[in-house]
Amino acid sequence: MVKAYTQEHTYRHPWERVTSASWRKFADPENKRILSHILEVDTLNRLLDPPSGKLYTTRAITIHCPGPWFVRKIVGHDICHCVESTVVDARSRSMQLTTRNISLQKFVEVEEKIRYDPHPDNPNGWTICQQETRIRIKPLSALASMAEKVEQRCAEKFLQNSAKGREVMERICKYLEAESSGLAL
Amino acid sequence: MRQKRDSSSSTSPCAPLRDAYHNCFNRWYAEKFMKGQWDKEECLSEWEKYRACLSQYLEDKHLSRFLEAEGVVSSTVHDDLGEGAASGASQ
Repeated sequence: MVKAYTQEHTYRHPWERVTSASWRKFADPENKRILSHILEVDTLNRLLDPPSGKLYTTRAITIHCPGPWFVRKIVGHDICHCVESTVVDARSRSMQLTTRNISLQKFVEVEEKIRYDPHPDNPNGWTICQQETRIRIKPLSALASMAEKVEQRCAEKFLQNSAKGREVMERICKYLEAESSGLAL
Repeated sequence: MRQKRDSSSSTSPCAPLRDAYHNCFNRWYAEKFMKGQWDKEECLSEWEKYRACLSQYLEDKHLSRFLEAEGVVSSTVHDDLGEGAASGASQ
């Protein structure tokens, strides 16, 4: 039982600005109101490899994910922890993020991959974002009989949240654009 | 974004140190790394303070599996980079 969803979005902002916005996505108080399911984002590890211009980052993301009562009953809480690994290749201008849950792995595995690349039609002005979400419910889990429902709920939540995420990204990009033109004046 | 962030809603005792580090990193990323200056990392003192607090906090909360997850990721990163690059990994 695997469900996969792909989404694509074009930001009319250059890659450098969009990836800068991506790092700020969870931090701003106004964004925190919109992305209220994100409770904590901590940086666990960071590695810069100067010869290749690659920057590796691992972050811990704590998410509030209220499920139906029976899920809470089995799981005992409605907080779930994810680990996000990011590689930014400054030379080839690509950013790849992979997020996986480390809580509830007995029941469900969620993997979200996001890529930011310069848009082929306008590489210096626009950025293309490709997102793939895979949700897999463990067939022998205690939740197997309810798996369909959980899977559906999970998927709906993910799609809602990625729409919110885009909204936040667009706003931060605009902010950064204004900031950089302000500095340029 | 604002340089200061409301950390009062956060439950982590490391939130002020985390904000200080993240603000420094965001500036470095946009103003240096994105402009081709990737020869050295900055914000090292902010990172050390934040990281020390975080390790303690994760241990107290029995969340050290985060650190294990980190070990897995960073070891693959090191494999990927080969031996020479790994020396710059830990500060």
